[in-house]
Amino acid sequence: MQWPERVYRAALRCYPSEFRDEYGGEMLQAFRDQWRDTRGPRLCVALMADVAATAPKEYGRVLMNDLRYALRMMRTSPLFSAAVVMTVALAIAANTAIFSVVNAVLLRPLPFGAPDRLMWVAERNDALHIPTFGASLLNYLSWKEQTQNVALAALGSVTFSLSGSGDPEQFAGSRITPSLMPVLGLQPLSGRTFRDDEERPGAPAVAMISEGLWKRRFGRDPAVVGRTVNLNGVPTTVIGIAPPALAVLTGGDVWVPITIDPAHEIRLNHVVNVVGLRKQGVSIEQAQSEMDAVSARVGRQYPEVNDWGIRLVTFRHWFVNDQLETALLVLLCAVVFVLLIACANIANLLLARATAREREIAIRTAMGATRGRLLRQLLAESLVLSLLGGAAGLACALWAVRLLDRLLPANLLPVPDIGVDARVLSFGVFATVATGLLFGVAPAWQAARTDINAMLKQSGRSAIGARSRLRNGLAATELALATVLLVGAGLLVQSLMNLERARLGFAPQNVLTFQLALPPAKYSRDVKGPAFYRQLLESLRALPGVRGAAISSGIPFGAGNYTTSPFAAVGPSVLPPDTAVPINWRIVSPGFFRTLEIPLVRGRDFTEADNARDVPVIVSQAAARRFWGADDPIGRVIRRPNDTQMMTVIGVVGDVRDTALNQESPAIYYPSAARVWPLMDVVVRSEAGPEALLPGIRQKVRELDPELALATVRPMEEWVSGSAAQPRLNAALLMVFALLALVIAAIGTYGVLAYSVTQRTREIGLRMALGAPAGRVIRLIVGEGMLVGAGGIVAGLAAALAITRTIGGLLFAVPAHDPLTFGGVAAVLAIVALAACFVPARRASRVNPIVALHDD
Amino acid sequence: MTARRSPSDPQRVPLALLHILLAVADRERHGYAIMQDVRERTGGAFKLGPGTLYGSIRRLLEADLIEEIDERPDPAHDDTRRRYYRITSRGRKVAVEETARLAKLLRHARAVGLAPKTV
Repeated sequence: MQWPERVYRAALRCYPSEFRDEYGGEMLQAFRDQWRDTRGPRLCVALMADVAATAPKEYGRVLMNDLRYALRMMRTSPLFSAAVVMTVALAIAANTAIFSVVNAVLLRPLPFGAPDRLMWVAERNDALHIPTFGASLLNYLSWKEQTQNVALAALGSVTFSLSGSGDPEQFAGSRITPSLMPVLGLQPLSGRTFRDDEERPGAPAVAMISEGLWKRRFGRDPAVVGRTVNLNGVPTTVIGIAPPALAVLTGGDVWVPITIDPAHEIRLNHVVNVVGLRKQGVSIEQAQSEMDAVSARVGRQYPEVNDWGIRLVTFRHWFVNDQLETALLVLLCAVVFVLLIACANIANLLLARATAREREIAIRTAMGATRGRLLRQLLAESLVLSLLGGAAGLACALWAVRLLDRLLPANLLPVPDIGVDARVLSFGVFATVATGLLFGVAPAWQAARTDINAMLKQSGRSAIGARSRLRNGLAATELALATVLLVGAGLLVQSLMNLERARLGFAPQNVLTFQLALPPAKYSRDVKGPAFYRQLLESLRALPGVRGAAISSGIPFGAGNYTTSPFAAVGPSVLPPDTAVPINWRIVSPGFFRTLEIPLVRGRDFTEADNARDVPVIVSQAAARRFWGADDPIGRVIRRPNDTQMMTVIGVVGDVRDTALNQESPAIYYPSAARVWPLMDVVVRSEAGPEALLPGIRQKVRELDPELALATVRPMEEWVSGSAAQPRLNAALLMVFALLALVIAAIGTYGVLAYSVTQRTREIGLRMALGAPAGRVIRLIVGEGMLVGAGGIVAGLAAALAITRTIGGLLFAVPAHDPLTFGGVAAVLAIVALAACFVPARRASRVNPIVALHDD
Repeated sequence: MTARRSPSDPQRVPLALLHILLAVADRERHGYAIMQDVRERTGGAFKLGPGTLYGSIRRLLEADLIEEIDERPDPAHDDTRRRYYRITSRGRKVAVEETARLAKLLRHARAVGLAPKTV
């Protein structure tokens, strides 16, 4: 054979096998004739072009034939097809929906100019075990002067009362340095951003507002830029509308420049968060070593901060905490498990059907269909099923994502919205195709290698043996995966129940909370502010139905100020001398503990007579234990490091869960008579139904100051349940997925046994004809099914033992290997498997031996 | 291939298919003979490659416009590997309709001066 013929023969392999088998020889002959008559390079080129043009066409034709055949097969068994399509649709919808959340939170870049180079520049104090903390404005200024490779900006939160156009209203907002917008790489939607000279004291008051505020409060007025509004009693010019991305970082609706007056700042006052943008090409390690050098220099210059350093945290880690990341990945794994179970189940259905189609396949083989051809045809069938299911699933997912976006509590995820983008769609399509291949390959392979001689002789024993092993294995796998899911869901549900049972340390029932922001221009923090609140609380307590009213700088679980500072005991202590411990502190009014029913364990509550001079404090039991062990803390003294002010303990109160249900933290309380914050939480306890008091409360506030607005009005119970929103969502979603998995797996087990009973009708009939009682037949079938079931459950428990360790961080007061959960899940699955076995077993026991033996 | 472009549709017989129908209209031919006939008849302007030829033959067979014959009409070139094809009555009908359509098209083209008066 000459080389041109060899090349052409090789080129013929580009055609589908059917076409090659039919015309390959002819084409080769035509080639030889042609080569004989007109050999030459031009012919070579023409022939190759001919192959390149016609081979894909032939493939397209074969594919269309396969698909047409697959659709015809689907129509012949509509129930089966519908079951498969629906299963795939459910699994794909769940997967795509969860993936869209994962995509929004973990994969999609944050909506900033260069999100990979953005960092939180946090202060840290190793001696006090504070890994990350806000920064002081003076430190920010010093860092800014000395860094070369990182552009810095600062932001602090603040509450605004907006008046002058419409009812007075309160907004959360931020003070930001003019450098923040360029550091984040953001542009205002309209107007301009702050200029550098606007952070100097005495600069004219300017503000940016959010798009939402512009729409809501100003009715999309295009002339809002340049308008003057009254912010906290100060006439302020609106200079721009901020992009939504700014609120992803800062939250809130109003932004004003931070005015920095170095003469009035304290270097230890950690009041802002600093963000930094690394220069292009600078790694985070390089930036960290530069910042280490900077903070060391600042520490030498200002000894009061020499134990504070800098820790750079990537935006990604700042925005997405480990718990959220774990929770999302766990949910993603859970839905993938559901998908795998669905695949195993469909594979099992297809295997059962392959048996029914054995004759059809045998005939096609006998007529010359090759194994590859059959394999491709059967795969085309499963792909058509999965594509139909996937299309339905994607449609459901689009709807589910919109629903999720609306139903998820705000602030649960650190992203503005969850959406379906190209990546989510590709994921859905990929998952669909993978699903079709996954559930199609094993049955197609099994069917295609059917021994046709045996089959046509109606005694395909060996093939049936292999197939039933495969079917049992698939059913066991389904049960194993369902076991893992149920164990995970069980652990999370128990954690949730523990969280909701967790002793709060206070009684949230019948308590209404709201926030008030006194304009600092009008109310001084140490005289007029406290006096206002004294008056307000007196008039609130006089309202009928009110059992108590009080204020705090931050109520438990609330939106108020969370303040942690180092404190050290003066005099005898269980700690080494001068050991500072980070402790949450709050400002509270007299009656705060009574109003929230926090028990006063020793000593006394604050009175209106307590003031700034003696600085009496009340400590929580945990704080008292920390400093003085079992000793009586009354009369003991504490202070802040680097501060000469001594504080005397006058009372001890019960511990309160403050920030999260799974976290009990020591606390120190200051009297509000000495000083209040610009933003304070007010709590009002009523006899019943606290919302009914709201009109009366608004009236009292208006009587005292008509410019003041109530903000964040909410029952205390809502704050508490809101803090469990994420665990509740995790547990609920995982439970749904686990139940879905359980149902599919149960159907799978049932399907395997029901099929096996049908197959063995003859054998069972023979047994019964030989005198086996119905009870023994039931035991035989159930025993066989339970062997598969037990295998699956044991494998699942072993896998769960290995896997649940990873969700340890999400658990509260439940060990990851909780024997009760594992035992309970095993029992539930065993019962479900038993039920799935029992139905076919009963049917087997009713086999009429005569009919069974005649059958066939 | 969609039903719209089926060769049995007289309005839309692709050129390659029509050429093959013409080649097997007067006598049975094998594949290479068809290629030669088409090339000679078009003066080398229209050349069928083997892939195009047999793809078209498969379509014509499926549409029942040509048929494969069992006897070998050309004993001189008796070669078991060669298969011979000839036009069916249905194929003849389709070819006639298609050429009539083309003839009509040519008349229209002449009428507006888009084609020479004589070929």
